[in-house]
Amino acid sequence: MLETRGLHASYGQTRVLQGIDLTVGDGEVVIVIGPNGHGKTTLLRTISGLMAPTSGEVWFGGDRIDGKRPDLIASDGLVHIPQGDLPFGDMTVEENLVLGAFPASDWAGRAQRLEHVFGIFAVLGERRGQRARTLSGGERRMLALGRGLMREARMLMIDEPSLGLAPVLVNEVYRHIEAIMRSGVTLLLVEENFSHVHAFDARVLLLESGRIVREGSVAELQADESVMATYLGT
Amino acid sequence: MRSFVQVIVSGLVTGSIYALMTVGMTLIYGTLRTLNMALGAMVLVGGYVSWMLFSGLGWGPLAGLVGAAAVTFVFGVLIQQVAVRPLIGKIGVDFEMTAFISTFAVAIVLANVALEIYGARNKAVPPVIAGRLGLIEGVSVSWHSLVMAGVAITMLVALGIFLSKTRYGLGISAVAQQLDAARLMGIPVQRIYNLTMGVSSALAGIAGVLLASVFFVSPNAGDQPLLKALIVAIFGGLGSVRGTIVAAYIIGLLEALISLYFGVKWSLPVLFVVIMIVLLIRPTGLFGKPEEARL
Repeated sequence: MLETRGLHASYGQTRVLQGIDLTVGDGEVVIVIGPNGHGKTTLLRTISGLMAPTSGEVWFGGDRIDGKRPDLIASDGLVHIPQGDLPFGDMTVEENLVLGAFPASDWAGRAQRLEHVFGIFAVLGERRGQRARTLSGGERRMLALGRGLMREARMLMIDEPSLGLAPVLVNEVYRHIEAIMRSGVTLLLVEENFSHVHAFDARVLLLESGRIVREGSVAELQADESVMATYLGT
Repeated sequence: MRSFVQVIVSGLVTGSIYALMTVGMTLIYGTLRTLNMALGAMVLVGGYVSWMLFSGLGWGPLAGLVGAAAVTFVFGVLIQQVAVRPLIGKIGVDFEMTAFISTFAVAIVLANVALEIYGARNKAVPPVIAGRLGLIEGVSVSWHSLVMAGVAITMLVALGIFLSKTRYGLGISAVAQQLDAARLMGIPVQRIYNLTMGVSSALAGIAGVLLASVFFVSPNAGDQPLLKALIVAIFGGLGSVRGTIVAAYIIGLLEALISLYFGVKWSLPVLFVVIMIVLLIRPTGLFGKPEEARL
């Protein structure tokens, strides 16, 4: 479904991605784990077209998409739920969600999708007329996830869904993510450490200094004490 | 009482026109983060188009209005493509300032093209409807002014519905409030920029049609409206469409009050003093907002 080949990206003079090769198969769940500031968010932003790679290729569903406009990539069915949620602060919860169905192919079905999302995230239904910036951190995260579910996704990318949330809320968010996973969606998930994903049946890539340094299943990497010493901190 | 009614009526009429002009400024500032100095030129383009259709071809006022809106919409898209788009995302370029200058350049070019084609003589556009409506003893308002206010308010309401209820209208607000999120939703940003410039220019063009029969059409017909739009924009803070409209009516009423009690020549000086005071107290303007809350 997704493949990157030798992907490099920089912020000005700072090289952030230094040759990333990764594949995510149809219906597969891949988790990228790495410390903050080592390129996880940049990786997702480069895949979804918000940033241009300095070199390398990105393939999605058989098409080469590096250099393509982000709105066209999004309309192709690559849903990227960004770090920090990025809500449309002065719009209502409902308007935020409806905008998630912006592509022409999704727009007509937005009413049913909206009910579907309200079925998953009841709190969003209760707050549908409220401005997004008045939501709590947990509600904002639900809004970001819900907005991502408003479109027909061929693949989902979620950037650190646990970021900045209290532990009880992290658990709730992950319950939703697991439910999304059970629907069979192809998922690329980014996290800072193992603590939230230790029970997942997924392939893990460890990202350090812009390179993938290790690959294996969740279970394999958890069995490795040197990995755990580095990555199970909180 | 009599003078009070007079102030209210004339304030509402001028306020409506100012709102029509400045709302476009707000939309463009919200999405593109620059001031479009060519909006004044859209007033004169709108004025000339309506003069040609209305006085030249003898078409009805509605044709003049629709024609002017269509032509200025196209002008807005062209200005976006020619004078604004090439500056977006250029490294080492202060976009806000260069786009401000390049749109100002477009305004100067358009004014001089108008001078070349139509000459310096004022063109008179007859009012849509003659006569006056008596309100109370000694106070009347021209039917034409009421039509002006009516058209302007209708346009503002239509804009409000467009922005809050339609796909591309919501897209404009989305781009204004969170650009990256908007792109991730699949919103085509360049098309939104074109649309915003087109709609804003068309609103200014409509203002031009309305003003044409009051002030004549001339190559510098856009200067005063642009100045007033900037005053309203600074006063209101370019934060939101609603705030801009409120600011426009406040300025309209203030101007009517000043004209009544001190004479027309004092209206600009007093307005500038009021704006200085407002900015000293609220540097972001009356309804200025943080970045993420625009429109």
